Amino acid sequence: MKNPLNKRLPRELKSEFGKYAVLFLFLAGLIALVSGFLVASGSMIIAYDESFEKYNIEDGNFELESEAGAKTISGIEEAGVKVYPNFYIEEETKEIESTLRIFKNRTEIDLVCLMDGAFPQAADEIAVDRMYADNNGIVTGDELIVGDQTLEVTGLVALSDYSALFSSTSDMMFDAVKFGVAIMNEDGFATLDDTHLHYGYSWKYDNPPADDKEAKVMAEDFLEVLIRKATVVNFIPEFLNQAIIFTGDDMGGDNAMFTAFLYIVVVIIAFVFAITTSNTIAKEAAVIGTLRASGYTKKELICHYMTMPMVVMLIAALVGNILGYTVFKNYMAALYYGSYSLPTYVTIWSAEAFIKTTLIPLCILFVINLVMLWSKLSLSPLRFMRRDLSRKKKKRAFRLSKRIEFMRRFRIRIIFQNMSNYVTIFAGVFFANVILLFGSMFGPLLDHFEEEIKSNMICGNQYVLQDIELDEPEGSASGILYQFFLDSMMSTSAEGAEKYSVTTLKTQEGKMKSEEVTVYGIREESAYVKIDFEKPEDVYISNAFAEKHGIRVGDSFELEEPYDDGKYDFTVAGIYEYPSSIAVFMSQSEFNRMFDKREGYYNGYFSNQEITDIGEDYIAATITLDDLNKTCRQLRVSMGGMMVLFQGFGLIMFALIIYLLAKIIIEKNAQSISMAKILGYLDSEINRLYVMTTTIVVLISIAVTIPISNAIISMICKAVFADYAGWLPYYVPNTIFAEMFAGGVITYAVVAFFQMRKIKKIPMTDALKNTE
Amino acid sequence: MFLEIKGIEKHFGEGESRVEVLKGIDMSIEKGEICVLLGPSGSGKSTLLNILGGIDNSDQGYISINGEKTAEMSDKELTLYRRKHLGYVFQMYNLIPNLNIRENIEVGAYLSDRSLDVDDLMKTLGLYEHRHKLPNQLSGGQQQRTAIGRAIVKNPDILLCDEPTGALDYNTSKEILKLIEDVNKKYGNTVVMVTHNTAIQYMADRVIKLRDGMVRKNYVNENKISAMDLDW
Repeated sequence: MKNPLNKRLPRELKSEFGKYAVLFLFLAGLIALVSGFLVASGSMIIAYDESFEKYNIEDGNFELESEAGAKTISGIEEAGVKVYPNFYIEEETKEIESTLRIFKNRTEIDLVCLMDGAFPQAADEIAVDRMYADNNGIVTGDELIVGDQTLEVTGLVALSDYSALFSSTSDMMFDAVKFGVAIMNEDGFATLDDTHLHYGYSWKYDNPPADDKEAKVMAEDFLEVLIRKATVVNFIPEFLNQAIIFTGDDMGGDNAMFTAFLYIVVVIIAFVFAITTSNTIAKEAAVIGTLRASGYTKKELICHYMTMPMVVMLIAALVGNILGYTVFKNYMAALYYGSYSLPTYVTIWSAEAFIKTTLIPLCILFVINLVMLWSKLSLSPLRFMRRDLSRKKKKRAFRLSKRIEFMRRFRIRIIFQNMSNYVTIFAGVFFANVILLFGSMFGPLLDHFEEEIKSNMICGNQYVLQDIELDEPEGSASGILYQFFLDSMMSTSAEGAEKYSVTTLKTQEGKMKSEEVTVYGIREESAYVKIDFEKPEDVYISNAFAEKHGIRVGDSFELEEPYDDGKYDFTVAGIYEYPSSIAVFMSQSEFNRMFDKREGYYNGYFSNQEITDIGEDYIAATITLDDLNKTCRQLRVSMGGMMVLFQGFGLIMFALIIYLLAKIIIEKNAQSISMAKILGYLDSEINRLYVMTTTIVVLISIAVTIPISNAIISMICKAVFADYAGWLPYYVPNTIFAEMFAGGVITYAVVAFFQMRKIKKIPMTDALKNTE
Repeated sequence: MFLEIKGIEKHFGEGESRVEVLKGIDMSIEKGEICVLLGPSGSGKSTLLNILGGIDNSDQGYISINGEKTAEMSDKELTLYRRKHLGYVFQMYNLIPNLNIRENIEVGAYLSDRSLDVDDLMKTLGLYEHRHKLPNQLSGGQQQRTAIGRAIVKNPDILLCDEPTGALDYNTSKEILKLIEDVNKKYGNTVVMVTHNTAIQYMADRVIKLRDGMVRKNYVNENKISAMDLDW
């Protein structure tokens, strides 16, 4: 015979339909979101991992100052590598303000995945990166003006070595709005202006490294050979190439974050179920005592009280998974396609997603509820029949001074009576606030960073000139003449233009990854960089450098040459407000001495005006506000949609937890409330006791958890940002905290309205009915 | 007449399950009287007490206290009526479990601007030494004393008692009845007590016997005895 107690379950569902429906919808929505995410990201990670072999992704690439001849190539290949020319030209696009890096279509290495349309066949055709096209509204069949040429877009593609569109590996963030990659056929590539031709080469090892550690050693060995054979401008092994590895690292991190997020929410919901069940047990104590006395085992009762939570969670998990695998998967995949230039993927039905979103949440719920039920139902049947469920020996109630106003004492008692509910409310509010802050702080953080960059940028247009090596012996007549020629070609009449020197070093690998540091040589009494170097050897560092690496005035640090053994020691004399870059500032004379440059050497201009009288051949790079802002631009594109999701989820969770637990408090005290009504208490007075108490706890929870959430998000952000090149200072304006507080109060006001309605509905006959 | 009950009718359920619980009750009670409502289970005595206490409505008839008719009152007015005039004692004490004894009595005191001194009352009730304990730390009799304290601390005009000794043993029952008697003497409240214990009628000033929703007997008890002399 089936356990007759099971017949209660449908009735329990019917009588508490609202509660179970809300919990079910919340859990199903959450699981759908996470399951959809895990399926999408799992499938994409597989597609990404397979792309290394499928598209023959390089083991690294380097750029030479000039094209390498066959002899040089074969000399380089003696280092145990196969070298593939992978030249590219960078051109500005007209109409759309962006830079396109155009390659010849590849046939051997870093193969290209066609996402839409066709590969370019004619000289005036081009296929552009799919994400760059999406961000700029380009579709197949459009015309694109690149440099001086009008090209037809025949297709949208994903370049396997540019899954994240980093224009430089030293960038903090890629920029898929104003930077894109594209391919043309050989004839088309030949028609492009070669002013900005880069002699890029990719390499593959004959014997691939087993892991990153071995890859690092092999790359160092290879670089030693390479610099002996040619003049290296750039050298990026695959394991350091952000354009290749960033996507994989980020997707893996997201996966862990979403899973942890699910488990934390499930733990909180499991506690909500446990508190609800505990309340039911208290209500049904006499019945439980009778059943136990009649021979029902503890196990049978545990099973009975465990059934509803487990069934709700199981159905929510199943429905959530179905929704996740069908609807949410596409939404999540679209989020990834909005951030990364990934090749096509095939949905892989992942057992891992099912385990993480169904089995583990069920286990969490089971364990937490089992512990609670086991502990509650361990009392003797007699104790249940006497409604004496206290596990501790009877103790005197703690004393509260008579001088405390009666209603206040009453509220304090309610808080202590419902401590487990209020602790869970605190935990729920805390987690909801963490989610809410995460969703709210991103926009203002980026706004603030942009503002900081703008107000602290050195100049409107920062030019880096080509560093042209003299072939002539230094000091010889021809050398002097050639230097004079270069100086005249690189001089400008732009008003206010100021010469400076610049080079790039890198930090040493330590707790943080090695990253590039821009070292500036500034002339005395510079109009752009207001630093007064008291001693010639004084060195200032940017505040971004100081904050990220925890360097203070008086500290020493060492930087290395990126491509040889040169090492330089610096002692910090001061911090300069320059948030957009990890940078070092020194006097130009000290710079030229340190880097062994001739007197009067410079290789750049600071200018607020655009310089138009230096030929493009002599300009290596121009840095404008737009370039400095690319991190913010891309983060907005990648994270914007996600942040709204977090905000919504935070608010829903906030309201749900408070609603359910406040409801339990009122249900638990229904008899007292009913009695208070009989005695003549007005609804407003009862609200002042029961609703006001929850209000006080909620308000304190919001106020206390906002700064704690801020500290936690700050730690998380700093840890995450430390992994990126460059620095994004953590900043949340006080208005966000005020908005969060106000949002919490408004959401709670809605919950409080339902609480008051519930109190109003408690009949006075409750006090008479439950008199066993 | 202090308390007048006129033509009270009440039914529960509809159709075949409709039960007429009160079938036209008429009675009146003088101020300061102890009135015992006697009757077997289902006679309608508790329903009548609930209507009298304003926690249930009648289908017909009215209740008037000092000329104020409860049937004409709004919900809020009914609440204020209970607050001003009534004290309630139930068979199960309905104390608030998370308040200590003193605070439970203060729950009543809070409602009145002419409340009795809580400490004095606790001494009268023999609860002073237990004032810091929670209800579940006291015996049934002590809990019922607390419930009585809560009811009378606001010095109500009428004390309604629904089987106040129903859950207590013989000796404790007599102590509680004595307490009600003392309270009636000391503070002059009108007491309406529902019971099925026929022995209690002997301590009453007035006895009203109900059966099948109707008043069968209504008389003044000429031979009233002290609660301590009751026997059953």
